[in-house]
Amino acid sequence: MKFRADEIASVIQKEIEDFRGQIQTAEVGRVIEVGDGIARCTGLSNVMSGEMLEFPNGTRGFAFNLEENSVGVVILGDYLKIAEGDEVRSRGKLLSVPVGEALLGRMVDPLGNPLDGKGPVITSESRPVEWLAAGVAERQPVKEPLQTGIKAIDAMTPVGRGQRELIIGDRKTGKTAIAIDTILNQKDTGVICVYVACGQRASSIAGVVEILREKGALDYTIIVAATSADPAPLQYIGPYAGAAMAEYFMYKGMHTLIVYDDLSKQAVAYRQLSLLMRRPPGREAFPGDVFYCHSRLLDRAVKLNKELGGGSMTALPIIETLEGEVSAYIPTNVISITDGQIYLEPDLFWKGIRPAINVGVSVSRVGGNAQTKAMKKIAGSLRLDLAAFRELEAFAQLGTELDKDTQAQLDRGYRMVELLKQRQYGPLHVADQVVAIYAGTKGYFDKVPVAKVAETEKELHEFIRTEHADMRDKLVAEAALTEEIEGMLKKALAAFVTRLSAKA
Amino acid sequence: MSDLRSISRPDSVLEDPGTLAVATMYAQSYLTAASQSGVAAPEEELNSLVDDVLRGFPEFEQLLMSDSVGRDDKLAIVERVIAPTSSDFFVNFLKVLIRHGRFDMLPLVQNIATKLQEEAAGKKRIRVRSARALSDSSRSKIVAHLKSTFGFEPVLQETVDASLLGGVILQVGDTVYDSSLRSRLKQLKGRLVEKAFNEIQSGRDRFSHPEGD
Repeated sequence: MKFRADEIASVIQKEIEDFRGQIQTAEVGRVIEVGDGIARCTGLSNVMSGEMLEFPNGTRGFAFNLEENSVGVVILGDYLKIAEGDEVRSRGKLLSVPVGEALLGRMVDPLGNPLDGKGPVITSESRPVEWLAAGVAERQPVKEPLQTGIKAIDAMTPVGRGQRELIIGDRKTGKTAIAIDTILNQKDTGVICVYVACGQRASSIAGVVEILREKGALDYTIIVAATSADPAPLQYIGPYAGAAMAEYFMYKGMHTLIVYDDLSKQAVAYRQLSLLMRRPPGREAFPGDVFYCHSRLLDRAVKLNKELGGGSMTALPIIETLEGEVSAYIPTNVISITDGQIYLEPDLFWKGIRPAINVGVSVSRVGGNAQTKAMKKIAGSLRLDLAAFRELEAFAQLGTELDKDTQAQLDRGYRMVELLKQRQYGPLHVADQVVAIYAGTKGYFDKVPVAKVAETEKELHEFIRTEHADMRDKLVAEAALTEEIEGMLKKALAAFVTRLSAKA
Repeated sequence: MSDLRSISRPDSVLEDPGTLAVATMYAQSYLTAASQSGVAAPEEELNSLVDDVLRGFPEFEQLLMSDSVGRDDKLAIVERVIAPTSSDFFVNFLKVLIRHGRFDMLPLVQNIATKLQEEAAGKKRIRVRSARALSDSSRSKIVAHLKSTFGFEPVLQETVDASLLGGVILQVGDTVYDSSLRSRLKQLKGRLVEKAFNEIQSGRDRFSHPEGD
C-alpha cells in the first residue's frame, strides 16, 4: 500500500482549519521549594486535596498537603527538571489512570504510561486512582473459590473470590512465586489479573513478565510496575492505580485478581513522602495514617452483589518480614486488615518443603465457604492431621521407641508433607488436587517410599487423565465428591496401587 | 510601585509564605494605625522613603538593613536622619520595625500596603503576559472587558514573553485565562496525535475482527 501524501495533507489541513482553540482556564500557583519528589507551592487557593496538577514540563503531581500558606505537592515523575518559580496548574480533576481492555497484556507505570515499547495504550476510559470501596449493601459474602492451583493453599487456606489473603514471609521464601502460580492458574477461567510491582528490582519484574509471557498468561494480565529506581510517589500510588484498573473489570461483572508485590515497600515509600512533607512520624517513623493507607486499598477488594453484576476483586497483598518478625508495625497492620494469611518460613524452604507454607500459622477466615464440596470433604481433617504429625515428629526425634499406630501415623505424615510439595509454575487443577490429597489421606501412598512420592503423584495424574478421564471429567463438572464419583475414584486408585506393586 | 529588592533572587523567594504573612501583618497594622490616628495618605511617606531615600542612597539602605549595625545605632540614625523631616507616626513605625529586627522587610511591607490600599479602593492587580508589548487600544480594550466581567477596577501588570508567540494570558488572583498561541498550538498538537491514535486503532480493529472489511 502506498500513502498518498496529498490526501493526508488535506486531512490535516481540514483538521487545522476546523480547530477552534478554547481559552484555557486554570488555577495556578508557583513552586517555592522543590526536592526529593515533592514541591511546596504558593497560590492554588482553591485546589482540592488529591487534585491533579501539572508542571510546565508536563510532569504531573497531586496536592497532598493543604496548609495555611502553601500547598504540598507530590511530583509524579522527573522532579529534577522542576525549578523554583515554575508555574503549577491545577487540572480540575482527581488523579486518574487509563483503564480498559487495551491494558491487557501491557506493562505500564502507575500513571498508565506504557513501559513495554508496544506503543501507546489506546483507550478513552479512565478511573480515579483513589476510589471509595464498595459499601456494605453493595457486597455479598465470599462464596466462589479462586483456585490458586497450589495444593497446600487450596486445601488448607483456600482463597475465595473477593477475599484479601496476605502472603507474608522473609525474603527468598517464595512469596512472589505463589502469586505468580496463582496468576498462571487463572488461564481460561476468565479472571483478569493485575500484578502491581512496587519497589521491586527491575530485573525481577522483567523475570516475572518473561514467565507470564512464556506461559501465555500475559493475555489476561496487566502489569503495573514501579521499580525501586522510580521516585517514592510512583511507588506509593502504584497499588491504587492497579486497583483502579482491576475495578474497571470488576464493575463490569468480571472476576479479577490483584497482586500487590509488595506493600511493605509501599509503606516505606509513603513514609518517605510523609516525612518530606513534615507530617509527624509515629511508630517506626511511619505516619499515623499508614494503617488507613493499606486498609482503604485492601477494602477495595470485594465481591459485588448481583445488582452490580456480581464481579469480584481478590487481593493477594505481599508483605516482607525481617527475620520472621510478624509483630513489626506494617505486618501486624496488614494481618489485621486481611481475611487471612499464608505464612512462609525460610526454615521450611531450606528443608525443601516448597511452597514453604507454615500450616499452623496460616489461616483463611472466609475462604472455607468458597471451597468446592469435594475439596472441603477431603481437606477437612488434613490440617489437624498435619498438626498432629508435627507434634509426633518432634517427639520421634527424641529417638523413643514408637508403637505401630504412631509409626503408621508418622509415615503417612511424611508422605502427606511430600505430597503437598509442588514445583514452581506447575499449578494443578482442583480435580487433580482432590485426587492426590484423597489418595494421600486414605493411605494409597503408604507403600510408596517417601523419596518417590512426587514421582508417583505425577504418574497418578497421568494415569487418571489417560485411563479414568470420565471420572475426572465428572469430578470437574460436579466439583463434589458424590458417592458415585468416590466409588469410581476408589476403583481407579486401587488399580493404580496394583500397577505400582506390579512394577515394584 | 517599586520593584522588590535583591534583584538576583527570583520573585518567588520573596513570596515565601512565612515572610509574606509577617509583612502583611505589619502592612495591615500600619494602615489601621494610620487611619485610627487620623494620618492622611500614610503610603506617601512609606513610598517616598523606599523609592527616593533608600533607592537613592544605597549605602544608607545597606547601613539600615545590615545586621552588623546594632539596633540602638539604627534607632539613633533614624532619629538623626529621618525624624527631622517626617511625621512622628512614621518614625514610630520605623522604630518598631527596627526593634523587632524586621527593617529588611520594609520594601515588602510597602508593596503589600500598596496592594491592600488598592483592594480597599476596589482595584485588583491583574497580570497580563503577551508576546509583544500591548498597544494602548488593546490595553484599554482589556481593561474595559475585565471591568465589565469582574466588576472591579483592574490594575494591569504587564510582562512581555516572546515564547507565547501570540495572544495574551491574564491572571486574576490564582486563576489563569490562557488564550496564547503557544497553548493553542499545544492543544492542536494533542488533538492531532489523538486523532492519529484513533486511526491506528481503527486500522488494527479492521484486521482483528473477522466481520470487518
